[in-house]
Amino acid sequence: MAEVAYHNICKSYGSFEVMRDLSLSIHDGEFAVLLGASGCGKTTLLRMTAGLENITGGELTIDGKVMNEVHPRDRDIAMVFQNYALYPTMKVFDNIAFSLEVKRLSKEEIKRKVNEAAAVLNLTDYLDRYPRELSGGQRQRVAMGRAMVRDAKVFLFDEPLSNLDAKLRAHMRVEIRQLHERLKATTIYVTHDQIEAMTMADKIVLMKGGKIEQVGTPDDLYDRPATKFTADFIGSPSMNFVEGKIHSQDGKPTFVGPHINLPLDENLAAEPGQKVICGLRPSDLVAAENGEISGTVKLVEKTGADVNIHVDLSETAHLVATMARDNGVLAGGSIELTIPSKAVHLFDADTENRIETQS
Amino acid sequence: MAFVRTKGLQGYITGDSPVPWLAPLVAMLVVFTIYPLFYNIWLSFHEYVPLKRRLVYVGTENWSNLFADPRFWEALSVTFTYFFVLLAIQVVLGMIIALLLDSDEPGFGLLRGLLTLTLVIPPAITGMMFLLMEDPEFGVLTYILEAMGILSGQDPILATSSTALAGVMLADIWQWTPFMVLIFLAGLRSLPQEPYEAAMLDGASAFQTFRRITLPMMSKVIAVAVLIRGIDLFRAFDYMFVMTSGGPGTSTYTLSLYAWQQTFSFIKWGYGATISLVSLVLILVIANLFIWIAKVRW
Ligand SMILES: Nc1ncnc2c1ncn2[C@@H]1O[C@H](COP(=O)(O)OP(=O)(O)O)[C@@H](O)[C@H]1O
Ligand SMILES: [Mg+2]
Repeated sequence: MAEVAYHNICKSYGSFEVMRDLSLSIHDGEFAVLLGASGCGKTTLLRMTAGLENITGGELTIDGKVMNEVHPRDRDIAMVFQNYALYPTMKVFDNIAFSLEVKRLSKEEIKRKVNEAAAVLNLTDYLDRYPRELSGGQRQRVAMGRAMVRDAKVFLFDEPLSNLDAKLRAHMRVEIRQLHERLKATTIYVTHDQIEAMTMADKIVLMKGGKIEQVGTPDDLYDRPATKFTADFIGSPSMNFVEGKIHSQDGKPTFVGPHINLPLDENLAAEPGQKVICGLRPSDLVAAENGEISGTVKLVEKTGADVNIHVDLSETAHLVATMARDNGVLAGGSIELTIPSKAVHLFDADTENRIETQS
Repeated sequence: MAFVRTKGLQGYITGDSPVPWLAPLVAMLVVFTIYPLFYNIWLSFHEYVPLKRRLVYVGTENWSNLFADPRFWEALSVTFTYFFVLLAIQVVLGMIIALLLDSDEPGFGLLRGLLTLTLVIPPAITGMMFLLMEDPEFGVLTYILEAMGILSGQDPILATSSTALAGVMLADIWQWTPFMVLIFLAGLRSLPQEPYEAAMLDGASAFQTFRRITLPMMSKVIAVAVLIRGIDLFRAFDYMFVMTSGGPGTSTYTLSLYAWQQTFSFIKWGYGATISLVSLVLILVIANLFIWIAKVRW
C-alpha cells in the first residue's frame, strides 16, 4: 500500500526556481508516467521523492505520512537512476544483489532472485563483469535489475530505457509493465518519450517548465488535450495546427482558415469571430473529393506501412496527413482532405486552452 | 657565446633521439643511486681497519657475523614491531579522522588545512618535543597518563624497556597520522556521490556503506598511502635517535639506528653497509609483496 502525494511542492537551487506549487497524487498500485521535455524538472521531482534532494517548500506524503524529513533509507523506495549510479567496485551480480544482502537474505535466495532478474534483462552472461566493462545499454539494464529484485513500496524509474536500441526498448517496456502487474507497487516512471508514456502509463503527468500541464489517462491526453502544448506533445507525427476564426454559417459554427472551411460541432463553446487554433491529427485526415481542406502536395514521406503526406495550404499554413501507401497521391499535385467534426480540436488563440464541447 | 649555446640547446631539444632526454636522469641515477648501491655491496665484503687506515677484503665474514649477531635480530624485531603497529594505527586512525573531516559544513576546510601543520616540523624537533612531554619530572604526557592511571609513578616512559617503544611511537603517530588523513581525504573527496545515493535507497547502513562502497573505492588510495608510509616506517631513525638512542637496552633499536651506530660510531663501514643492504632487501620484498597482494582488482 503506498499512495504518493505532492502538496504544493516548490524547489529552488539557490535563487534558481525549478518548481513551484506542484500538486499531484499517485494512487496505490498506479503506474504513473512523468512526461516532459528535457530540463522540465522530472528528475528533480523523482529525487525529491526518494529523499536525495531537499524539498524547498510544500509537503510530500506517502500513505498520508509526511516524508520531507525521512531518511532515504527509511522510505522503502527503489530507484533506477538516470545516470545508472552503479557500484563501480562490485561485479554485476553484487550490484544487483546488494540490497538483498543488506536485508540478510539467504545466499540461495539471493542467487535465485539475481539470476531471475538477469535472465529477464539478458544479463546472464555479464554477471561476472565490472560495470566499467559494460556498454551503456548493459549498464542501464544492471540498474534496472537492481530495482527489479527489490520489493519496495514505491518504484521510481528515471528514463530507464533511454540507452537501449529500439527492439530491446520495446521488449523492456513489456517487461516493466509485467513486473508492475506482478508487484502491483506504486510506480513513477520518467520519460521524455511520448510513445513510452502512451504505451505504459495508467496515468500520464505531462510537465512543462516545472509545472504540471495536464494529468490524465493516455486516452484523455490523446483525445482531449487540455492545451495546445499537450496536443503538440502527444501523438506522432504531431498534431497539425492551423490558425483561423470562427464563423457562423447557416447557424452552425464553422472554422475558417487558409483553404479550410470546416463545419464544427454545434455544442462547441466558441463565439463567432473568436480567433482560434484548429488542431487536426495527421491520422484523422482523409482524402476526399470536395473535401473542406484543399492544398498542394509538397512531399510524400515513406515510413513503412504508412506515408506522411505534407500539404501546403498557403504560404504559411502546412499540414501532414498520414495515409496508407498506394493511395496514388503524388508530390506536386493538388489534394482535398476532410475530417470528421468530432476529431477536430479547437484551442483559443490567446490562451491556447482547449475549447470544450458542452453537452 | 650566448647564441652558440642556444643553438646547442635547440639541437638537443629538436633531435629525434630519446637519448638526450634520458641522459640527465640516467646520469643522476647512476651517480646517486646505482653507484652507491654497488659500492655498498662491494663494501659489505670489506672492512675498515683503523690501524692500516684502509679497507681490507674480508670475504663473507660480515654476513656470517650479521646472522650470528643477537643485536641484529633484536633490531629486526623492533623494526618489524614498529612497522606493523604504527602502520595499523595510522591507517585506522587516519581513516576515522578523514571520515569525520569529510564534510562541507563551514569550518571543516580550515580543519583540513590545519592538518598540514605537523608535517612541516622536522622529525628531530618533534622528537625533542615528545622527549620533553614524556619527561618523568615535568612532562605533560607523563602527568596525564599517571592521572588516567595508565602509568605508575615510578617508571619513566622512555627509560623503561616495556614502554620506551610506545613512547617513541607516540611522536610518530602525532606527526604522521595527519599525512594519512590528508591522503585519505583527497581520496574520499574525489569519490563519486551516485553510488552512495544508490546505497541509501538499497537500505544500507552507514557501516555497510563504508565496508562495501567506500573501502573498495578507496583501496587504491589506501594502498598508495600504506606503501609510502610503510617504507618510511621501515627505516625509522629520527625519533629513537633523539629520544632514546635505541635504549633502554635494545628496546628501541631499529635496523637503521644499528647501521648508523656500526658505521659512524664504531667505524665498521663494512658491517654497517651489510645491515643497510639487509634493510634494503627487506623493504623491496615487503613492498613488492604488498603491491602483489593488494593488486586492486576493480
Ligand atoms: N544540482 C542542481 N543545481 C542547479 N540546477 C539544477 C540542479 N539539478 C537540476 N537543475 C536544473 O533544474 C532543472 C530541472 O532539471 P531536471 O530535473 O534534471 O530535468 P529533467 O530530468 O526533466 O530533464 C534544469 O533546468 C536543471 O538545469
Ligand atoms: Mg532527467
